Amino acid sequence: MAEYIDDDVLVCRCEEITAGEIREAIRMGATDVTGVKRRTRAGMGLCQGRTCEALVQQILRQELKGEATPESIGFSTPRTPQRPVTFGTLGGDNL
Amino acid sequence: MSAYDVIVIGGGVIGTSCAYHLVKKGYKVALIERGDIASGTSSHCDAAAMITDKMPGPDAALGYASIQKFIRLSKELDYDFNFDQAGSLYVCETDQEVEVATGYVNDLRAEGYRVKMVDPYEMSQIEPLLAKDLKGGFWSDECAGLNPFKLCYAFVEQVKGKGLDVFLHTKVTGIRLNEKNQVEGVDTDRGRFTTGRVINCGGVYAPEIGRLNGLNIPILPRKGVILLSEATIPVCHQKVQEFGYMVTKFANVECDRDPELLKYNVAFTLEPTEGDNVMLGSSRNFVGYSLNTEIEVINAIAKRGMRFFPILKNMSCVRAYAGVRPFMEDHLPIMSEVDEMPGYYICAGHEGDGISMSPVSGELMTQLIAGEETELDMEPFRFSRLENRFL
Ligand SMILES: Cc1cc2nc3c(=O)[nH]c(=O)nc-3n(C[C@H](O)[C@H](O)[C@H](O)COP(=O)(O)OP(=O)(O)OC[C@H]3O[C@@H](n4cnc5c(N)ncnc54)[C@H](O)[C@@H]3O)c2cc1C
Repeated sequence: MAEYIDDDVLVCRCEEITAGEIREAIRMGATDVTGVKRRTRAGMGLCQGRTCEALVQQILRQELKGEATPESIGFSTPRTPQRPVTFGTLGGDNL
Repeated sequence: MSAYDVIVIGGGVIGTSCAYHLVKKGYKVALIERGDIASGTSSHCDAAAMITDKMPGPDAALGYASIQKFIRLSKELDYDFNFDQAGSLYVCETDQEVEVATGYVNDLRAEGYRVKMVDPYEMSQIEPLLAKDLKGGFWSDECAGLNPFKLCYAFVEQVKGKGLDVFLHTKVTGIRLNEKNQVEGVDTDRGRFTTGRVINCGGVYAPEIGRLNGLNIPILPRKGVILLSEATIPVCHQKVQEFGYMVTKFANVECDRDPELLKYNVAFTLEPTEGDNVMLGSSRNFVGYSLNTEIEVINAIAKRGMRFFPILKNMSCVRAYAGVRPFMEDHLPIMSEVDEMPGYYICAGHEGDGISMSPVSGELMTQLIAGEETELDMEPFRFSRLENRFL
């Protein structure tokens, strides 16, 4: 299993969320990537979790031990647009 | 499994508020949620608590009372739910809208609410990035915003382990009645619970839970799509909305609207978040429970947004998502016991007002269960007002 990430390590760089804050969310009841995200904002930033998702999954796996499976930890829900697009483009301006 | 005074089904804003208020009253409560706290509509929505989207009279009084309750809750609950009484601004595109708005604002002022008409110059002071060709608007500093899923966590965290037991990832599969049709327990996919009272707080899923006991709860999912911007410069400082959409509601007059907007019932709303993003909305249509974000709807919302905030054109959207409002035909939630099934309560169907009405709903259900005098007349919210209540 991957090594332990110290509590003060920044996991989500977009929203500046540390491993400690993610562990706190898990203590509050988060059991999956989306639950961590709503409780901490990890994955809500510009990259929408593309950078931190694997680390969040790893921490969930380590904290929840046997209770977690890859399916239960899950992924963040894929959303349109797949990468940032201007409202101008979405509104048909540059189409 | 253990026994509870009350079992609340559904961990959205309504269920968590009921659970919190019941525990405060001294009841031993279990909250049963099939997913995570706030995994339903209560995390797929905006979260404004307003007076200026309400009709003068009891409707506005309820809006006002809700805001006062949030002010109290923001001090009472330790978990911060980002309550911010930042105000709200409505904007008018045409002179006809300004005329209707003036009458509406006068009615609210006559009832003592702090709301006033603003001219285009004042509007540009309040929200400098607004389009410059608008005709006027109105502003109230009493309206507020908050984070809806943090509100759910705040209700739960305050009483968890102190009278409230929370069962997540646990699905209610049956509600047991005795030979007198009284509630005696709840079955779930993780075991049985004993209780004499249950509240169905299933939101758009309340009908599904109701069907387990042959109840016909006529709540329909009414979808809304929201576009989230990147975190950037402050685009707006409070909730900003177009009044055009409300004209029919407030004056029973027809106003001309772009057919493309009418098709998906698109109206412009913009809300800042605590993370410096803005949420641009929204649509209202009946397309079942699917949370797909159709490109045509995204397109119409983006266009409408740029009409009022041209700066959006060059800003990025990072996410589009949809939620389904628990819609009732007569626009009133069901907050009631089922007469024929003593101990079976329903608190659901708050459509687009569930966040702002959550404190008062939780209080009313607690008063109802405690057999106390209720803060409001509960007659309009009774389940028995509806026809064909049984399948
Ligand atoms: C786009 C949009 C914008 C909105 N804007 C606003 C606004 O500005 N202000 C405002 O006040 N309101 C707003 N709303 C409305 C508000 O979001 C809803 O009224 C509110 O969230 C409903 O809460 P609820 O608790 O009834 O339902 P939900 O949050 O859906 O909770 C119901 C819960 O029940 C659970 N459940 C279902 N079946 C079972 C079962 N069998 N066993 C266990 N659990 C079960 C579900 O998992 C779910 O978590 C908006 C809604 C939308 C869609």
